[in-house]
Amino acid sequence: MGEVLISLFRDNTMWIGVWETIYLTLLSTAFAYVIGLPLGILLCTTGRNGLTPVIWLNKLLGIVVNIFRSIPFIILMVAFLPVAKVIVGKTYGPAAMVVMLVIAAAPYIARMVESSLKEVDAGVVEAAKSMGASTLQIIWKVYLPEAKPSLLVGAVISMVTVLGYSAMASTIHGGGLGEIAIFYGYNNFQDDVIWMCVFFTVIIVQFIQEGGMYFATRTDKRVRVKGRKKKAKAE
Amino acid sequence: MIELKNLTKIYPSKAGETVALEDISLVIPDGSVFGVIGLSGAGKSTLVRCLNLLEKPTRGQVLIDGEDITAVSKKRLGQIRRSIGMIFQNFNLLEQRTAAANVRFPLELSKVPREEAKKRVEELLSLVGLSEKADAYPSQLSGGQKQRVAIARALATDPKYLLCDEATSALDPTTTESILELLKKINRELGVTIVVITHEMRVVESICTDVAVLDQSHVAEAGRVEEVFSFPQSEIAKQLVIPNLIRSLAGSGANKLRLVFHGETSDTPVISGLAMECGVPANILFADTRRIDGKTFGHMVIELPQDEKQIQAAKQYLTAHNVVFKEEI
Repeated sequence: MGEVLISLFRDNTMWIGVWETIYLTLLSTAFAYVIGLPLGILLCTTGRNGLTPVIWLNKLLGIVVNIFRSIPFIILMVAFLPVAKVIVGKTYGPAAMVVMLVIAAAPYIARMVESSLKEVDAGVVEAAKSMGASTLQIIWKVYLPEAKPSLLVGAVISMVTVLGYSAMASTIHGGGLGEIAIFYGYNNFQDDVIWMCVFFTVIIVQFIQEGGMYFATRTDKRVRVKGRKKKAKAE
Repeated sequence: MIELKNLTKIYPSKAGETVALEDISLVIPDGSVFGVIGLSGAGKSTLVRCLNLLEKPTRGQVLIDGEDITAVSKKRLGQIRRSIGMIFQNFNLLEQRTAAANVRFPLELSKVPREEAKKRVEELLSLVGLSEKADAYPSQLSGGQKQRVAIARALATDPKYLLCDEATSALDPTTTESILELLKKINRELGVTIVVITHEMRVVESICTDVAVLDQSHVAEAGRVEEVFSFPQSEIAKQLVIPNLIRSLAGSGANKLRLVFHGETSDTPVISGLAMECGVPANILFADTRRIDGKTFGHMVIELPQDEKQIQAAKQYLTAHNVVFKEEI
């Protein structure tokens, strides 16, 4: 291990980086869902075969979402810095980074949510309608619970994507492993620092991915849990 | 009573218009089990969806107890829908909810208090014979069990009507039989009027009191089941009663008879009777009969010798034993 790397561990910079990456990812994903989830629901319900088709609104939302999704993150980040200024009062640092990540992730999440909701069996929605359910009741009691496993898988994918974006944080001094890799590693010709950051990123992604998928599978009642049932009986 | 007046449903499409239903007028009396039968694409499913406005008719009226539901507010429609239960071919259960939670679903929608809902769910599950499966998820249930849960769910709000859209089409014959028994019980004991959409004549025969035969978006004929079944007037009804293949194989001729059993016939063994009492040997060309509640239902095509006297003797024997027969197959 090189001296730079050792000192990064010694003064906890590396650990702070790990923590910042985790919190940037979690916080940004959470905020992005606050915008993306309702947006995704709207995209699904206002569509041609949706619950309450409003074609013009659907088209408009679709175009806005597509525009945001087609801008590369690194460009979106610098282009929308004024927005961060308005919201958090700064154009740099982790708080500004969260704003940028939310702007980038929300449209992505909206599409994820939309596709999850569209997987819900139209027959089940029809059954709910036949029972006199209102539009809100159908969203709340049919779409969201029935799509839950798929929504969770979408959340895992979104979170990993956000984590990937967060690596570009060094551009605006946003913190996290990405910044350490560029600042201490790349700029100082310290390959071992870069690789250590890669290593920690991989570990975090594995945790999110495996943990998330485990959770998603467990909540899915469509999957017959064969092994568990048999075991319970044997005991 | 459900009344359809000049109901028309047209689907606009790029290639022009598709007429699903044209000028349908029907009366579904209270307490009846009303069958709507037809081949695929005849418009059956569209028809049943118009009864609770899952499909909005292009023209015409749907009167539920005298109220035209094509003209009511969204809120009122929700209330009306709660008085009309519906079950489906694919069951359409909420996959992420247990059987009990599925049955509770309509009660949650109408904000029935928790304790009361719980009691009602228990009653309903025991009505459909699934009390011990209350905590099972749909993926752990068989097709027949899923349909029972769906029936319990459809009955949760004490509906006056129950619509069944090909409810037994995805089930095997034995399970079909048991689901039909359950529907019959619901009609008899709870007084629920049932509308049954099907492409199977045997479903109509075994539970319906009335039937409408749908063909190419029109009602070909409608009436009491035994009448339509015994004396089908339209080509399509004839085809549904006896498959085309059998009819062409049997050919026609004065010596061929179709015997109809609709539960009123005595249990005399007719064919043996013909042979032993009248000395007329009869050849069975086609038979589709079954005994339900000790009564015989179904029909049979027999071939008699080419002898006028023997044919007359056979006809007399049949009349004497209260067997309905028809020369035209």
